[in-house]
Amino acid sequence: MAAPMELSCWGGDWGLPSLHPESLTVMAYAKFSGAPLTVNTINNSWRAPKGDVPVLISEDIVISQPAKILNFLRKQKYNADYELSAKQGADTLAYIALLEEKLLPALLHTFWVEAENYCSVTKPWFASRIAFPLSLYLPGRMSREALNRILLTRGGPPLYSLTEVEAQIYRDAKECLNLLSKRLGTSQFFFGDTPTTLDAFVFGFLAPIYKVCFPRVQLQEHLKQLPNLCRFCDDILTCYFRLTVLGFAYFNEIKTQAIYDYLRAVLQRTCMLHMGRGRSNAAAV
Amino acid sequence: MPVMERTGRKSAPATEPWPENAALYQQLKEEQILLSDNASSLAVQAFLQMCNLPVRVVCRANAEYMSPSGKVPFIHVGNQVVSELGPIVQFVKAKGHSLSDGLDEVQKAEMKAYMELVNNMLLTAELYLQWCDDVTVEEITHPRYGSPYPWPLNRILSYQKQWEVRRKMKAIGWAGKTLEQVLEDVDQCCQALSQRLGTQPYFFNKQPTELDALVFGHLFTILTTQLTTDELSEKVKNYSNLTAFCRRIEQQYFEGHDKDSSTTVAARSAKRSLLR
Repeated sequence: MAAPMELSCWGGDWGLPSLHPESLTVMAYAKFSGAPLTVNTINNSWRAPKGDVPVLISEDIVISQPAKILNFLRKQKYNADYELSAKQGADTLAYIALLEEKLLPALLHTFWVEAENYCSVTKPWFASRIAFPLSLYLPGRMSREALNRILLTRGGPPLYSLTEVEAQIYRDAKECLNLLSKRLGTSQFFFGDTPTTLDAFVFGFLAPIYKVCFPRVQLQEHLKQLPNLCRFCDDILTCYFRLTVLGFAYFNEIKTQAIYDYLRAVLQRTCMLHMGRGRSNAAAV
Repeated sequence: MPVMERTGRKSAPATEPWPENAALYQQLKEEQILLSDNASSLAVQAFLQMCNLPVRVVCRANAEYMSPSGKVPFIHVGNQVVSELGPIVQFVKAKGHSLSDGLDEVQKAEMKAYMELVNNMLLTAELYLQWCDDVTVEEITHPRYGSPYPWPLNRILSYQKQWEVRRKMKAIGWAGKTLEQVLEDVDQCCQALSQRLGTQPYFFNKQPTELDALVFGHLFTILTTQLTTDELSEKVKNYSNLTAFCRRIEQQYFEGHDKDSSTTVAARSAKRSLLR
């Protein structure tokens, strides 16, 4: 029996299990491969995660980046890719590189750099899940890191101002979404009928864009014009994630119904006892 | 129907034909040019050869500063100056030459994905090796990078560039990697390229595309550049179809030409020939 594995990551909202793309990728892969992960979402307590989020803790081993976590899960025999051919495995690496180069800058910008989005949605959400007083500092740091990354990787000449860089990264992101849509076509997942690592990564990057309600949403509007990608996200959410939400609600309902039935039975028995006594009393009388 | 947006910069007017005196600028090839810049330059040269567009290679010490984007190589065609493989491919396409017209949409998506893979992994690994590995930096990079300039300018320029590259590595999360991890990433990338190539002559079977040019540029440079250790080239040599691929492109597009271009390719900062 494998050692119990615990995943520490950011929680979710707007129908998603997590808002953080990398956490979402790991959670999706765990669902696809059937790995039994206990998910601990970061909350207001002082138990800070030990490394960059998401972090997988299994006995004494602490692993922190999505690629490494997925490698670890594969070594523990939870492999979602065993049916892929060598060429498909190579395609997976290539498309993940495409996502990181073309889509990630725009995603970071939408969440952390775009002023309206950051101030009205991202900062309050993350601040509410971090303990005070770190909640005053950490979101700002994450925002600065995101801007730094965008400028260092995409911001060289001939793009000299932030607006030009923003225009370029959104153009690249929309092209990337178009390419993904063409590649997905009409099939259910990227490599046939079973989801694989690539599906986990694409889902991790697309679902936050798709579901989170921001004031400035140009990427979301573009994504909504690609119905096969929207259908892809919805399918994974309903098949692999809603079950837990629905199951919990259903269980609650059953519990309530059972309690109600029990109370009714108790009440009935009590009444019958009383009535019986009354009758016997009456009979006695 | 998905909304397609025009990507990239404004393309050059397609009215002028390709001139005879088109020039490609790079740094000095014997003393100054580094592994990553050499790879990029060779990729562009291969691409232009594949399109049958003549270009002469001009070596200048300040090529990096002349370039509009700060990166080499750049081409000077008519009165246009375009740098880096991506924009050059689009520029050439606007002039009516394209290698990837025969591909369907899914293949084009795949081609772009693999080009990003090479840029993301191979190019970043080359930059890491050149600028973040202390041994290589001391023995090769610092002496070469500022060699055309007098002291202390040569040291200042190379330290400045090193600081810039290390900042970028930190931002993308590569600063914490060890050399072994970087070499493993290179191995993974080569494995993916090897599996994609299979037994075909080019990545998209019969005709070479810009992906072939890019992969050739990087792999040929890695195979023929002498560094402090052989580990990087050993990783590529493990995949025989990749070395055969490089040899094939070298023979087809570089050796059949006049002496100038063949010496351009063969006389690297390298000391070894591929056909050994």
